[in-house]
Amino acid sequence: MGQLLQYILNGLAKGSIYSLIALGLVVIYRGTGHLNFAQGEMALFATFGAWWIHDHGVPLLFAITLAAALAFVGGGVIEFGLIRPAGKKSPFAVVVVTIGLFQALNSLSGLLFQGAGTGLPFGTLFPNKPNDFFRLPGDAIWRYENVGVLASVLAITGILFALFQKTKVGLAMRMVANNPDSAKLSGVSTTRILMLSWGISALIGAIGGALVAGINTNVNLATMFGVFLLASAAATLGGLDSPLGAVVGGLSLGVVESLVSNYPKDWWASSYVGADTSVAVAFLIILVVLLVRPAGLFGSSRVERV
Amino acid sequence: MPTAIKESSPPHWLARILAVAVLAALALYIASSAKPSTLGNITEACTLAVAAVALNLLLGFNGQISIGHSTFAGLAAFTAGYSVNFWRWNPYVSLAVGLVLCFVLGLALGLPALRLKGPYLALVTLAVAFVWPTIAAKFLDKKVKASTLKGTKLQPPTWTGLTNSRPDRAVFLYWLAVVILVLAYVIVRNLRKSRIGRALVAVRDNETAAAVMGVNLKFTKTVTFGISAAIAGASGWLTAARLDRLDENSFTILNSIKYLLALFLGGAATLAGPIVGAFVYYFVDDYLKTHAPTWHWLPGPISKGPVASFLLGTIVIIFVFIAPFGLVGFIKDQVRRVFVVTPRPLKQAVASPELIEHTSDATAAESSAQD
Amino acid sequence: MNALLEVRSLRAGYGAVQVLHGFDMRVNEGEVAVILGANGAGKTTTMRAISGMIQRKGSIVFDGEPITRTPPHEIVRMGIAQVPQGRGTFTDLSVADNLRAGAYVHKGIHIESDMREWYDVFPRLSERREQKAGSLSGGEQQMLAIARALMSKPRLLLCDEPSLGLAPIITQELFAILQRLNTENGLTILVVEQNANLAVKIAHSVFVLETGSIVASGTADEIANDDAVRKAYLGY
Ligand SMILES: Nc1ncnc2c1ncn2[C@@H]1O[C@H](COP(=O)(O)OP(=O)(O)O)[C@@H](O)[C@H]1O
Ligand SMILES: [Mg+2]
Repeated sequence: MGQLLQYILNGLAKGSIYSLIALGLVVIYRGTGHLNFAQGEMALFATFGAWWIHDHGVPLLFAITLAAALAFVGGGVIEFGLIRPAGKKSPFAVVVVTIGLFQALNSLSGLLFQGAGTGLPFGTLFPNKPNDFFRLPGDAIWRYENVGVLASVLAITGILFALFQKTKVGLAMRMVANNPDSAKLSGVSTTRILMLSWGISALIGAIGGALVAGINTNVNLATMFGVFLLASAAATLGGLDSPLGAVVGGLSLGVVESLVSNYPKDWWASSYVGADTSVAVAFLIILVVLLVRPAGLFGSSRVERV
Repeated sequence: MPTAIKESSPPHWLARILAVAVLAALALYIASSAKPSTLGNITEACTLAVAAVALNLLLGFNGQISIGHSTFAGLAAFTAGYSVNFWRWNPYVSLAVGLVLCFVLGLALGLPALRLKGPYLALVTLAVAFVWPTIAAKFLDKKVKASTLKGTKLQPPTWTGLTNSRPDRAVFLYWLAVVILVLAYVIVRNLRKSRIGRALVAVRDNETAAAVMGVNLKFTKTVTFGISAAIAGASGWLTAARLDRLDENSFTILNSIKYLLALFLGGAATLAGPIVGAFVYYFVDDYLKTHAPTWHWLPGPISKGPVASFLLGTIVIIFVFIAPFGLVGFIKDQVRRVFVVTPRPLKQAVASPELIEHTSDATAAESSAQD
Repeated sequence: MNALLEVRSLRAGYGAVQVLHGFDMRVNEGEVAVILGANGAGKTTTMRAISGMIQRKGSIVFDGEPITRTPPHEIVRMGIAQVPQGRGTFTDLSVADNLRAGAYVHKGIHIESDMREWYDVFPRLSERREQKAGSLSGGEQQMLAIARALMSKPRLLLCDEPSLGLAPIITQELFAILQRLNTENGLTILVVEQNANLAVKIAHSVFVLETGSIVASGTADEIANDDAVRKAYLGY
């Protein structure tokens, strides 16, 4: 019992980060129907940015905040300067641009930040010494760091949902997502909303990247690959156009990953299942969800299908 | 006014024969005069080109995206390495078996493609690309990783007059790569120009219209995926033939992205595009790797970093706007100011009028590009 | 009379295909004008050209201001609201949020009182305010679409085939509401209809559109007395 709780708690922390990156994917997908393949690498670049700012003597929290703010601007610029003009050519052109961005941003990180390949030490915002934890019933422990990550992500998610549901900008975002033509006819400048969506997506990506780097106490060029895959799986599971789905999908994927990789090996009768199976689990989830229910758990069935 | 040349008319044939002759002469000249290291580079470029050609069939002509082609290359490479080293298979048999495996895996991946469009298919293939290295790491111990077709496993046949010495082996691998690339090109070209090719493009441009005109969507899409996967497998086999060692990081998502970028650089949906793109990609990469560190005007750390990856990624983005059909598309546009190849009339109507027009436009464009 | 909307040699289309071939049209303040035309005549294209949803050439002047190059979200602010063909409600949003969406161009406290006003006019929407718009019936969605457009406090309301797919009794109710909006609130309305008897009854002026050109126009009486038009569009 205690152990099960333990694995669930561990999984929730990582899962919350997946849900953050997944939310970033969903915010963009809802606006334009594009899947941003560069989402992970945009977050990576911002995380290196935070590292660099911190390295120049700025306290970590401020460094991350500043990097996230810059990422917000950067996301808007990418939408305005690259994605929108490409979208006027064809949806395929957008795919090419995001794949180009994936490589360009990854290698730019390698160019600008010496030592990025092997990894740079990244601090954490939360106490993470060996005995920084709460004791829970049944011998389970809840590390302050995991509590901190989960709480921050839930807070950010809460703010985002309040933004979507309670503000005029949020209303405009929902209008554009649901019916872009009617949104225009109601006076929404869809172009501005799309820039804003990319900005928000980049911002929460940056925060997600910094949290991952904090847990790993390191950031390197491969940091976001797996996270991006699991976030895509989470977004697919939840339904690519559902913010709530992204959150639920991310958290459950984190828990599943934790259970699958930690549960006593004899459960599985095979030693092949173990530490690195999370990507395989993500793959299976993507595949099964797409074959059984392409709209995901919470997505609308408008999602494109042959 | 550009000069019009009829497709398959004597001048067009002359141009084709001339082009083939020049390329063949070039290939022979390189084989006889280049240093082993240069031959090795060309072999690597051909290996990349084969993968890009495979992707072009799927993406350029059939409109299905795959970010997972590195997996097929990896599957064929490990199949060859394992079967030759542990079961003492003939390396060419291992190639054939690898291709069949890739074809089958491609079919299996093509199945979800029947139900999924755009970003979803991309997601599935992306996931495959991520999963492959983990599987490779899990199932392959050190001994297996180190088993490739190196040394005596794949020797030049005696009729070639080549020994297994280092220079001779370089020549041999060079020819292997060239022959496989030519075969891949010819297969894709003939597919493209056949009735099947018109079906592929029709499916790409408008599935409903294609279905109405009698194209079997399911069959076309899955089989295309299978063939493309098999060709990518051939590229993986070449990698196993050349390298001394393979591991789980030999075929990652970054390789898949490299294939895609090479294709976009040269020009998707053009026959020559993936080959031109792969060679340009490979040699720009190679040049910058050796020369950038000596450029003192670059800040030290930058010149040692992945300059080429950054540059090539950026160029591909720029190309979306200035040369959407890549280098080949760009050259084609220039050539078309001087010559146009008018297509030969179709023998058999397979498409609605506007589709025929569209298809033959594309054919004309490609013909003028290759010659 | 004062022209609220003045259209001159309007040309518009999709990509290379030109659909509207340059016609003139004038809607006076306080009037109900109707565009009649067969399927594919270009009625929707005309509406989309006026509201700025597609590229157009020629001249469109609204209340003395040229709007030929104005983007749609600014045209709404100037006082033109369009109810698009097929209703164009925000199906995933609640009825109340649809109305708030309609008031996007306005700020502040009046929004909630405006909503109450339209709930009075459309009581069935009032009962369903927290329901998703997608779950409403066709007639309710059409009412919602109109209420949403009215939330922007337009001076000109464009309605594209509001009766499409509705039962005759609902259509009658709908046109009664449009007429009341015109007579009681002084709203200027431009309606597109294929099936035109009801529309012509509430109209002051009528335009007949055929393959992208206006082939007849006049007051409702004049058009009703034109034999050819009457046979083709009014069916008697
Ligand atoms: N999005 C579009 N792209 C291309 N052609 C269109 C589009 N919408 C309408 N058309 C064409 O424009 C013409 C007029 O259409 P429309 O204005 O919708 O007619 P109406 O509303 O009178 O039925 C038709 O021939 C139609 O095929
Ligand atoms: Mg219409």
